[in-house]
Amino acid sequence: MLPDFLRILIAAPVCWILYITIDVYFKLPEQGGVSGATAIAKDIERGGGALHGGYMMGNIVSSPDASAGTLLASCGVTAAGIPGGLFAALLVYIGNRICYDPGYAGTTGAVVATFVVFGFTQIGFAASDFVAGMVIAILTIQGLSHSHASRLLATLWRWRS
Amino acid sequence: MEVALLIALSVCAIIAAYAAVRVVLEKRPLRKLPYLNVLSFAISGSLLLILPHPLSIVVAVAYFVGSTLESNAIASTYAGGIQKDG
Repeated sequence: MLPDFLRILIAAPVCWILYITIDVYFKLPEQGGVSGATAIAKDIERGGGALHGGYMMGNIVSSPDASAGTLLASCGVTAAGIPGGLFAALLVYIGNRICYDPGYAGTTGAVVATFVVFGFTQIGFAASDFVAGMVIAILTIQGLSHSHASRLLATLWRWRS
Repeated sequence: MEVALLIALSVCAIIAAYAAVRVVLEKRPLRKLPYLNVLSFAISGSLLLILPHPLSIVVAVAYFVGSTLESNAIASTYAGGIQKDG
């Protein structure tokens, strides 16, 4: 069995790839879902970032997306296994509707993450590693440098479109 | 508490403290919100790791969705709020 820190350091990129892939697939960087997300994107662009990356960051702030789905599904699996993860997915679906988000990125992210996290628990990982891993993964996008993160997301969006 | 849970909780707590400092240091209100988002992630995760019980899932989601809705409302207000016709 791997040491605890190493497991978290492996879980973080797994979560990162998972939520970025789902968010970009669901076209979060295309435009701001609500006026607040657009305002955040324009502010990030004024600070030297890229507009489409800013849209995605604004959308992550404004409604539970695949990153929130991954975190809450990991929490669900930690507390109650696969049923806990799917229960979290249902709650994320309700949360999306509360936040005026018509999309399914959050719900899809939560369902996919439930099975990914469960799969990793079968090979020696703890579900709690993915809770910490997801917090590290969101830190790299939203919490370090907005201009660099938005430019990276805009590059990924150019590949998608 | 299990060692794995304790280490995961420490990571969440350290990131929460870091995000809180960034929220305070950032000058522009709209740019504070992504840091606040990181803080919400870290606190939701910490909530469940402190109390790993099925009902904690409801607590974590309720906290997270509530905080997201607040950020959404703050950002929309700065963007000009609801535009009335006429």
